[in-house]
Amino acid sequence: MTDAADTDRWIRRLNLVQLVLAGLLIMAPTVWMVLSSFKPSFEVTAYPPTLVFTPTLENYVELTRTTPFLSYALNSLIVTVGSTALGLLFGIPAAFAVSWTRISWPAILTLAARMAPGTLFLLPWYVMFRQVGMIGSYTALILSHAVITLPIVIWVLLPSFDGIPRSVFEAAQVDGCSVTRILWRIALPLVASGVAVSAILAFVFSWNYFLFALVLSNGDTKTLIAAAFNFIGEGSTQWGALMAAATLIALPPLVLAALVQRWLVSGLTLGAVKG
Amino acid sequence: MASISIRNLTKRYGNFTVIPDLNLEIADHEFVVFVGPSGCGKSTLLRIIAGLEPISSGDLYIGDKRVNGVQAAQRDIAMVFQDYALYPHMRVYDNMSFALELRGTPRAEIDARVKRAAALLHIEPYLDRKPKELSGGQRQRVAMGRAIVRNPKAFLFDEPLSNLDAKLRGQVRAEIKALSQELKTTMVFVTHDQIEAMTMADRIVVLQSGTIQQYDTPETVYERPANQFVAGFIGSPAMNFFPVEWRQEQAVLSQGGTVVALDGETAGRLSKAGNAVLGIRPEHFAVATDAADGIAIDVKLVEPLGSDTLIHFDLAGGPAIARVDPALRPKVGDRINLRPQPGKTHLFDATNGQVLR
Repeated sequence: MTDAADTDRWIRRLNLVQLVLAGLLIMAPTVWMVLSSFKPSFEVTAYPPTLVFTPTLENYVELTRTTPFLSYALNSLIVTVGSTALGLLFGIPAAFAVSWTRISWPAILTLAARMAPGTLFLLPWYVMFRQVGMIGSYTALILSHAVITLPIVIWVLLPSFDGIPRSVFEAAQVDGCSVTRILWRIALPLVASGVAVSAILAFVFSWNYFLFALVLSNGDTKTLIAAAFNFIGEGSTQWGALMAAATLIALPPLVLAALVQRWLVSGLTLGAVKG
Repeated sequence: MASISIRNLTKRYGNFTVIPDLNLEIADHEFVVFVGPSGCGKSTLLRIIAGLEPISSGDLYIGDKRVNGVQAAQRDIAMVFQDYALYPHMRVYDNMSFALELRGTPRAEIDARVKRAAALLHIEPYLDRKPKELSGGQRQRVAMGRAIVRNPKAFLFDEPLSNLDAKLRGQVRAEIKALSQELKTTMVFVTHDQIEAMTMADRIVVLQSGTIQQYDTPETVYERPANQFVAGFIGSPAMNFFPVEWRQEQAVLSQGGTVVALDGETAGRLSKAGNAVLGIRPEHFAVATDAADGIAIDVKLVEPLGSDTLIHFDLAGGPAIARVDPALRPKVGDRINLRPQPGKTHLFDATNGQVLR
C-alpha cells in the first residue's frame, strides 16, 4: 500500500519535471524574444544576457519609424484573410463532397500537396505568374497561400462531416433537399465549430508562411514575415527591431490560439466520437 | 396517396445479389409490413422505394409513375428512420416545417399543419425544444410529425420502434396503427419483430435472402404459412417441428417412433407424402385426459406468463414448447399427455420446406 503510494508520488513528480522541461524548451525562445524586444538596443546582444533591465519601447518606435510596418501588417492581413476565405470557399464543399461520396483520393491529393516542400511549387508559379504579369500582386500571394489553407480546411472538416449520422442527410433528401441545400442548411450548421477551427488554423498557417511571399511579393505587397527578413542586413542586423517585429508578428496567432484553445482541441477531435 | 408496384426488381452490390427478381404490389391506403431476419433485404427494399438506393434492374412505380431514376427529393414520400434522424440544430417546429418550407408552402399553412400534427401526436409543448432535449419516445413522435405534415403519397418506416423500451414500443405501435387508420395513406413498415408485423399490418411480406416467402394478411400468414421458414418465423414462441413418417397406417415421429394422433385430413396428406415435417404451434397442443390419446412428455421447465403457461420438454430428440392453461399448474418433472389440436397441425415437405396441402 505504502509502496504503491510512493510510486504514485514519484510518477507525479516525474510528470511535473517533464512538463516543466517541455514548457521551458518551448517557451524559452519566445520569452527571450519578447524580453529582448523591450531591452535597450545595446543590451539585446549583450553576453551574458541581462535579466534585469529597464524596459523600453525604443525598438518598437525604431521599427515603426524606419519601416512601413503597418503597411506590411496590412499586406499580411489581406493575404491571410484572402487565402483563408479562398480555403473555406473551396475547402468546405470539397470536404463535404469527399465525405458524401466516400471517394477520398482528392483529399489525399491535397494532403500530399500540403506535405510537399513549398519550393516544389515556387519555381513553376514564379514562371507562370511572371508570364501573366502577376508577380507582386495580392492575387498571386492569395492563390499561392491557398495551397496551405485548402488542405487544412478539408482535413479539419472531413471528420466533422463524417461524424454526422448518414440518416440525417438521408432524411433531408427525403424531405426534398438537393445535395447543395443539404450542405448549406443541414451539414454546415452542424460543423460550425469545425469551420471556426479550420478557419483559425488556416489563418495561423498562412500568416506564418514565409517562402511564397519572399519570392512572389514586391515592396508594396511584402508580408510582415517576409519583411522581417530585411532586418537581417549584410553589414549589421537590427536585433532590437527584429525582436520587436517578431513579437508583433507572433501576437495574432498566439492570441487566436489562446482565445479558442479549448474549442480548438474539441474541434480537432470532432467526429471522432458519435454523439 | 398512391399504390407502390415493384416489378422484377434486382439489387446487387458488386457481385453480391441482395434482392433477386422481386415482384410486389402494394395497394393504395394499404399498411404493409416487411418482416424477416437480419440481412434479408427488407431495409434495402424500403430504401429503394425511398430513392436512397439505386435499382440494379427492374421497375419501381409509385402511383402510375415509374420512378427508377427519380431522386428521393422528388418522390413525395416521407420516411421515419430507425435513429429518428432529426436535424439536431433545429427546433422541433423547424424539424417539422422544413420540408414544407422547401416546397414553398405559405407560412400560415405551414403553421397550421405543424400545429395540427403536433396536436395529433401530443408534442405541442415541445415545439420550441431542440431534439437533444427530448426523450426517445418524444423524438420518435417528432420524426412521425415531420412525416405527417407533408401529406405525402406514402409513409415509409424503417424499424422505428427498435430504439424504444418495451412499454413505449407497445404504446407507439398502437399510435402508428391508429394514425394509419386516420390518415388513410399507403404505409410500408420494416421490422424484424413479428409481433409488430402481426399487430399493425393489413398485409405482411415475409422476406428471406431477398425473396418473398409469403405475402398475405397476418391471419393467413399465421394460420396457413406457405413454408417452414414462415411457420417458424411468425409466432412466438416459434412453431415446433418434428420429422414424421406414415408407418402401418398411422403417423409416427421419425425419431423415437412415438405415434401422433392426427386429424383425418392431415393424416391423408402424410400418407400420400410418406414422410414430412410436422409443425405444431405451442398454443395448439391440448392436454389429453386419456393417456392413450396423447404423447407422454416430461416437463423440463415451466414459464408462467399469467395469462397462460409455457412448458418446455424434449420430444423426438429435440426441444419443444407447449402453451397450456395456467390452471394446470404444471411442475418440473411432471408427466403430461399432450395431443395436437385437430385441424391445427401443418405438414411441410421434408426436402424443400413447402407446405403440403
